[in-house]
Amino acid sequence: MKYRILALAAVLAVGACGTGAEPETGAAASGAPAKLTVWIMDGSVTQELLKKFETEHEDAHKGVDLDIQIQAWDGIGERVTAALASTDAPDVIEVGNTQVAQYSSSGGVTDLTAKIADLKGEDWLPGLAQPGNIDGKQYGIPWYAANRVVVYNKDLFAEAGIKEPPKTRDEWLDITTKLNKGGNQGIYLTGQTWYALAGFIWDEGGDLAVQEGGRWKGALDTPQARAGMDFYQRLQALGKGPKDADEANPPQHEVFAQGKVAQIIAVPGVAARVLEVDDQLKDKMGFFPIPGKTADKPGTVFTGGSDLIIPVASQHQDEAYELVKALAGEKFQKELATTMSFVPNRTSLAGVLSGDEGTAAMAVGAANGRATPNTPNWAAVEATSVIKQYMTAVLTGADPAAEAKKVSESITTTLNSGS
Amino acid sequence: MKRLALNATAVAVLVTTVFPVYWMFLTAFKPTRDIQAATPTFWPADPTLEHFVTAVSAPGFWTYWRNSLLVTVAAVLIALVVALLAAFAMTRMRWRGRSAFVVAVFAAQMAPWEALLVPVFIIARDTDLLDSLAMLTGVYFMITLPFTIVTLRGFLSAIPPELEEAAQVDGCSRLVAFRRVIFPLLAPGLMATSLFGFITAWNEFAFVNVLIIKDQDKRTLPVWLSSFRDVFGTDWGATMAAASLFALPALLLFLFLQRRVGTGMTAGAVKG
Amino acid sequence: MRAGHRSFWPFLLIAPTVAGGAFLLLYPMLKAAVISFQHFRMGELIRGGATLVGLENYAELLGGTEFWQVVWRTVAWTAINVVLIVVLSTGVALMLVRLRRGLRLAVMSALALAWATPIIAATTIFQWLFQSELGVVNWLLVTLGFDSFQGYTWFADGTATFAVLVILVVWQSVPFAALTLYAGLTTIPAELYESARIDGGNGWQVFWKITVPMLRQLFALIASLEVIWVAKCFPQIWVLSQGGPDDATTTLPVYAFKIARVLHRYDLGSAVAMLTVVILAVALVSNLRRMVRS
Repeated sequence: MKYRILALAAVLAVGACGTGAEPETGAAASGAPAKLTVWIMDGSVTQELLKKFETEHEDAHKGVDLDIQIQAWDGIGERVTAALASTDAPDVIEVGNTQVAQYSSSGGVTDLTAKIADLKGEDWLPGLAQPGNIDGKQYGIPWYAANRVVVYNKDLFAEAGIKEPPKTRDEWLDITTKLNKGGNQGIYLTGQTWYALAGFIWDEGGDLAVQEGGRWKGALDTPQARAGMDFYQRLQALGKGPKDADEANPPQHEVFAQGKVAQIIAVPGVAARVLEVDDQLKDKMGFFPIPGKTADKPGTVFTGGSDLIIPVASQHQDEAYELVKALAGEKFQKELATTMSFVPNRTSLAGVLSGDEGTAAMAVGAANGRATPNTPNWAAVEATSVIKQYMTAVLTGADPAAEAKKVSESITTTLNSGS
Repeated sequence: MKRLALNATAVAVLVTTVFPVYWMFLTAFKPTRDIQAATPTFWPADPTLEHFVTAVSAPGFWTYWRNSLLVTVAAVLIALVVALLAAFAMTRMRWRGRSAFVVAVFAAQMAPWEALLVPVFIIARDTDLLDSLAMLTGVYFMITLPFTIVTLRGFLSAIPPELEEAAQVDGCSRLVAFRRVIFPLLAPGLMATSLFGFITAWNEFAFVNVLIIKDQDKRTLPVWLSSFRDVFGTDWGATMAAASLFALPALLLFLFLQRRVGTGMTAGAVKG
Repeated sequence: MRAGHRSFWPFLLIAPTVAGGAFLLLYPMLKAAVISFQHFRMGELIRGGATLVGLENYAELLGGTEFWQVVWRTVAWTAINVVLIVVLSTGVALMLVRLRRGLRLAVMSALALAWATPIIAATTIFQWLFQSELGVVNWLLVTLGFDSFQGYTWFADGTATFAVLVILVVWQSVPFAALTLYAGLTTIPAELYESARIDGGNGWQVFWKITVPMLRQLFALIASLEVIWVAKCFPQIWVLSQGGPDDATTTLPVYAFKIARVLHRYDLGSAVAMLTVVILAVALVSNLRRMVRS
């Protein structure tokens, strides 16, 4: 026992030295291999593609050793903040496009304005480039975008005798009711899929929050927003999606992979993850844009996506930039877009998507893409989950009017709390 | 009749106390179809190890398990030694400021640790101790220290000072007297206290999240358990197997100590 | 004893405690106190250069309604839990004394087992017990005839989540209190009880006339320890409900954590923590006084 304790102490002491005194500067590291730490969000890229990229990048850049770490969404805000505030941060971090503004305005992210031309930033997707740009300086580099479509099970549609995907909301409710028979779920929509709700609200002409004379105001209590929630509730009832969870708990692609769910609302890239679980659905997944109120206009969708940032505290600024350049460059963008069914970061690369059913459906929806309210504080609204709690409350029978009023007040407070 | 009612109550208390733990192990060993059955079974008819295989093969399990054990055991041992010294000074010696010290130790238990995340992070950053298990050990040591002192003080004051005085009269030095006379009497107290410290440190997850940033191989088991639940959300078999594996070291330690400690488990607080 | 050693030995013995406390507790506390008087948010954490704003953060807290709601919720949370814990553990301890050896050891082992179960494991177990579709609690309630619990979502309702958390905390806390009280009960000389019985007291009177006064110190200690532990209880709440739904389970520590780590208002979060310490200290001041005297 005594020896074991000594061994413990020794290990601890070594651990302390190992991380303590290592003043690796870019210059010093140029001789020795630079170990670059990269944070990629869970679900962004398949393991296979990351492996391939890692090998290629390490071959092309001698002396660079990539350590790609997959980050869980839960608690990511505090981990990125701690990383930005540390003295030896990860070198490249993927951040959601609704959160990049908050980090960019914190002073902890490297300003890459001078590199825009080198990165061919003239035709970046505005939905990714704008949130990464604060006061004319570009901190976040657009990486990929995606919006939700309806992914459906062709077998279950055929069984129910449905030939055509729905074009309007009413048709959508009709066919989903038909599909919701026997052991099958018409749609698996969890109670807290808030960006699906955002789309329905935008369709009604409402919004999540509005700016009035410099002040932000939560808007979920407007009649338009209430109508959007009402539609969500009717749709959600046509399946067994848990009312008190979001689509990550359990991961909805796993539920869909069981083959008992007719539809889910997801980015088309989810198809690849479904097949990772079980390939019985190969060639059996179809896609259509989220239906709008009328047949001539598809539903409005939330444009999601990610930017890449380099923390100021990264010890390998030059190598990190080369890495960002590779990740945001044409070659990898094309691979990423085709493998994951994402929209590439530049409009001129969009051609790569033609011929794919999923991304075609996404492109139709993308024409009606919207973003969350453009303020660095929006990230805090997401982080507090108030919208999710509002949805659960309404779906489990609370008074919709009172709940809508409460959540709007809460959003108003958060958005105006300064930073 | 009275005896019967008493025994029935005792059995009821026994069942409610044990059931959640039993249910965790039971679920972990049940095949998935039994877990999802409409009518639960209360006995492992058809035990399986598949959920444990799932849990153990999730990435990082062994690394995190080792980290947790290392940090927790180190923190507990350091806390025991430091607390023993302080408790000795508090019970066996008279000195200026002793009562203030007693109050300070008691008050230290009120420390709002969740709110000290940012200050501790800043301190770790400024002393180059981020991404280091040593810093984590230090924090866990400090979290467990106040209660360890309070309890050990209780145990020590239950041992009459005359015992060691007698030993000293017999010619032993104070140190020898302590080792030969006090230490054996104190052993159960030390063990009971170490179990408490172990449970506290074993559980901690908030500090790992901000103190371990870049070096993911230094994360600990609670972080693993919560990310495990993110991934395996509704796979309750695997989740319960993971929870079982998480609870196991503490439960084993308890079983090991209980034999030695017996009913003296919490006697320290009596004299507190 | 050698008087000369008295002068510096005690200070040498407490030196490690003092050093550890100074660096890892007092220093962070002082830093937190300073932050609570500053404008200290994400930018200041990363860039440094926080400016003093005086009492602004405290004014924002004390002037708003939310903080007071959280305070009252914390008071209610603490009161409910501590009362349940003390009452139940007293009952269990009194029961233990009367049990025969075999059964007593079995119950004590069970209690210690529950006590030794790590909080996060226990919290995960309770999520599973109270799960809506497959949870054994809903099954039991439906089997007993409460059909409204078919598929009941405990964690969607504020009061229900609060109740589950109370059950969890009580389940975890009773063992320590009960075993400690039992150890205390065994120190009461049997003659005291016998003479009380001869004087014609019934069980209830004996309890109030002999047991309670004898164990007054112990009850006070347990009650104040439980007040601290329950009021500061964080991981259970955070893992189970993150303070929701609808803030129904947001107590002071959860509130401080949410403000600081989720909203990045480290200044406001520190102010909450400082006020929490003040509230706890005031609540326990009489106990602290007694400790100084002893």
